[in-house]
Amino acid sequence: MIEITNVQKGFPGNSRAIEDLSLTIPDGKIVGFLGPNGAGKSTTIKMMTGILPIDKGSITLNGIPIDKNSIEAKKTFGYVPDQPDMFLRLKGIEYLNFIGDIYNVPQTIRQERIDTLTKQFQIHTSLQDYIQTYSHGMRQKIIVTGVLLHDPSIWILDEPLTGLDPKSAYTLKDMMRQHADKGNTVFFSSHGLEVVEQLCDMVAIINKGKLLFYGDMKQLHEEYQTDQSLEAVFLELTNDE
Amino acid sequence: MMNKTWLLVKIILKMQYSKAGANHSQIWLLVPIILFSIPFLYLYITITNATVSALYQTLQSVGQESVILGLLFIGLHTILFIMSLVTILNAFFFTEDIKSFIPFPFQPYQLILGKSANPFIYLYITSGFLFIPWFYAYGNVSEAPIHYYLQGVPIFLLVPMVPFTLAAIILMVAMRFINISKNKDRSKVITGILTLAFIIFINVIVRLNTDSQAMLQRLTYLLKEKDGLLIKITNYYPPAFLQTKALTDASTWEGFIYFLMTVVLAVGCFMLFLWIGQRFYIKGMLGSGGVGRKLTLPKKKSAKNVKKQAVWLSYIKTELRIIFRTPTFLMQCVIQSLFGPVFLLIIFIMDSGTQGLATLMNNFSEKQSILVLFLASVVLIGSNATAISSVSRDGKNWFVQFYFPLSMKQILLYKISTAWIINLITITLLLIVGIGLLQLPLTYSLIWLLLMLVANWFTSMLGTYLDFIQPKLNWTDEQEVFKSRLIGLTAICITFGIFGALVLILWNTSILSFILTVFSLLLGLIIAIITIGILFRLKLRQTNSL
Ligand SMILES: Nc1ncnc2c1ncn2[C@@H]1O[C@H](COP(=O)(O)OP(=O)(O)OP(=O)(O)O)[C@@H](O)[C@H]1O
Ligand SMILES: [Mg+2]
Repeated sequence: MIEITNVQKGFPGNSRAIEDLSLTIPDGKIVGFLGPNGAGKSTTIKMMTGILPIDKGSITLNGIPIDKNSIEAKKTFGYVPDQPDMFLRLKGIEYLNFIGDIYNVPQTIRQERIDTLTKQFQIHTSLQDYIQTYSHGMRQKIIVTGVLLHDPSIWILDEPLTGLDPKSAYTLKDMMRQHADKGNTVFFSSHGLEVVEQLCDMVAIINKGKLLFYGDMKQLHEEYQTDQSLEAVFLELTNDE
Repeated sequence: MMNKTWLLVKIILKMQYSKAGANHSQIWLLVPIILFSIPFLYLYITITNATVSALYQTLQSVGQESVILGLLFIGLHTILFIMSLVTILNAFFFTEDIKSFIPFPFQPYQLILGKSANPFIYLYITSGFLFIPWFYAYGNVSEAPIHYYLQGVPIFLLVPMVPFTLAAIILMVAMRFINISKNKDRSKVITGILTLAFIIFINVIVRLNTDSQAMLQRLTYLLKEKDGLLIKITNYYPPAFLQTKALTDASTWEGFIYFLMTVVLAVGCFMLFLWIGQRFYIKGMLGSGGVGRKLTLPKKKSAKNVKKQAVWLSYIKTELRIIFRTPTFLMQCVIQSLFGPVFLLIIFIMDSGTQGLATLMNNFSEKQSILVLFLASVVLIGSNATAISSVSRDGKNWFVQFYFPLSMKQILLYKISTAWIINLITITLLLIVGIGLLQLPLTYSLIWLLLMLVANWFTSMLGTYLDFIQPKLNWTDEQEVFKSRLIGLTAICITFGIFGALVLILWNTSILSFILTVFSLLLGLIIAIITIGILFRLKLRQTNSL
């Protein structure tokens, strides 16, 4: 469960990147986060993960405020950043071990999960290489593997599907579904409307830092004439002219 | 908790010294440097031994031998403090790799410990280099008991703690408050400049306090007391006093108590550092905005903003913009190169007033003085970091150039020009100092200027060439362009080697008049430039054939 209450965020030159955003992401649901480029998705997610300080308002993860009790809060989630260019100077396996160590993943579980996950994602042959030499999609996968490795209850994913091949994307979507079905929280941003439509229980749409819609597919269809596709609604909602 | 911290330290060091994307051929550069340093090291140890025993002979007779170690500690602490300021600034604030760790459940103090590992390695290397020979020499000449060595080892380990924590605390607090400006890039540059100014300030203070006249007068008085000299020099700085006493009185109980006090002091400082770090570091580090900056173009002006320019102009402008807008580049390429002349100038003025150079010039003939000035300024210009980072600064974007409709030759030429332009700042500064403060004759200065403009082209070419043959492109943080690369040293060695030899030859050929000497220098420069031109051509041909 993630609770975002009246959050505001400004940058030099853009004082209202996020305006008074409130959002509750319940357990057991996959919530998709949509919006045009520059809408504030990554900014919101970075505040949720403690990367960016919150100007006003509060964010709690499983009831723990990220700004006040950051260490405890951080133990509850796993995060896939929008740019997976991190830890490039480590080897894949070194990175995974590092994550395993941070979150105290026991040896046997670690071994087993690394084996199955990297095989599923087909990166097990590259584990001894530096992440530097990975392609975009491979970097994405190694980070996703890191998140799954410590099995947090909340998943926060910033455009996790971008750059994944169809098979890996399918695997990841499947994992998201299973994770949510176990009563956990999955929150991810995406530009793929079909994916959101098919996978998500709820969608949040923002533009220019303001929340335009939040609800499930049924509500969406009720609110905007029944048979409209998500694409049509999205385009209408975010139309600036 | 402890092993999490250890984990973090290990991973940060691993990332820093990782061989990912490393070029193994860099290793051959180490060979001449090591060979070069063996005789130097031998000389250094011999001189240290001689100095210490000479000092000991004189001072022991008046019961003041403790000042020998006092001097060591004071010197060591000052050097380590200044080094800490620079390394901490880089490691804690300019390097942003810490960002990747923020989503993980680490306490700020753990992140700080992780970040401190690398600066500490530098500090221990420096401190080892200075401390061990001096410590050993003193032990030897004073026939020190075993306790001296037993306490010496832990003291050596503790020495960097106090200066490091002092520097870290100052910077963390400063960064926290400067960050109020909300602009992270700007506050980094401000802190950087303030730090350098602070270093100059310390230097001035130290120099003001070592007024030799007054010292002499009090000397007789101080000599009467045991450790009088030691007390005098460590007056404002107790850690050095405690450490000295712990060693000089090593065999007594008193010495052991001093030793314990040293330990407590160092550990206490360190805890304080962690506590302050826990409170201030992340906030100061993150600031309120991110790294990026948003340029808002006023609508009306946009017509003016879209303007066609010659390729070379536009390219060089872009290069300059990138340097001036990236805090790390600005610090390394521009501000630190200004720091050199300013620092020299201040030492110079404080020590001898402006007559200094004039006296110097009087001792030399016109010809000799231009040779000395030439060599000094060439080395100064050659140490600028712009040229040696020409290619590496582009990082992963370097390959973007390959889509541009430009030849590699053009690109390199623009990059060399950029370095040349940046160096004009240093040259101008030196010129102002020369004419304005030191009152060098005008024609003389103009000749120097001419030589420098050409020499500048040489050093810019050399740096760019070295960077071009072994660029460091796979960086994730701008700091890496400048860190742990031998390229800067190589460039200076080559410049100094070539022109040192040339100057030496010209110095000794007395038949050459002043004007002929200048011509010879110019000729030497032109030959050097042509040589690098040929090297460039060879390298380009080689890459094309690949
Ligand atoms: N570090 C920063 N400094 C200044 N402005 C920023 C910074 N980061 C984001 N912004 C601004 O905040 C707004 C939201 O950006 P954000 O990255 O959250 O968009 P996004 O929804 O993730 O877009 P995308 O779909 O392109 O990933 C944009 O207007 C952007 O310019
Ligand atoms: Mg984004």
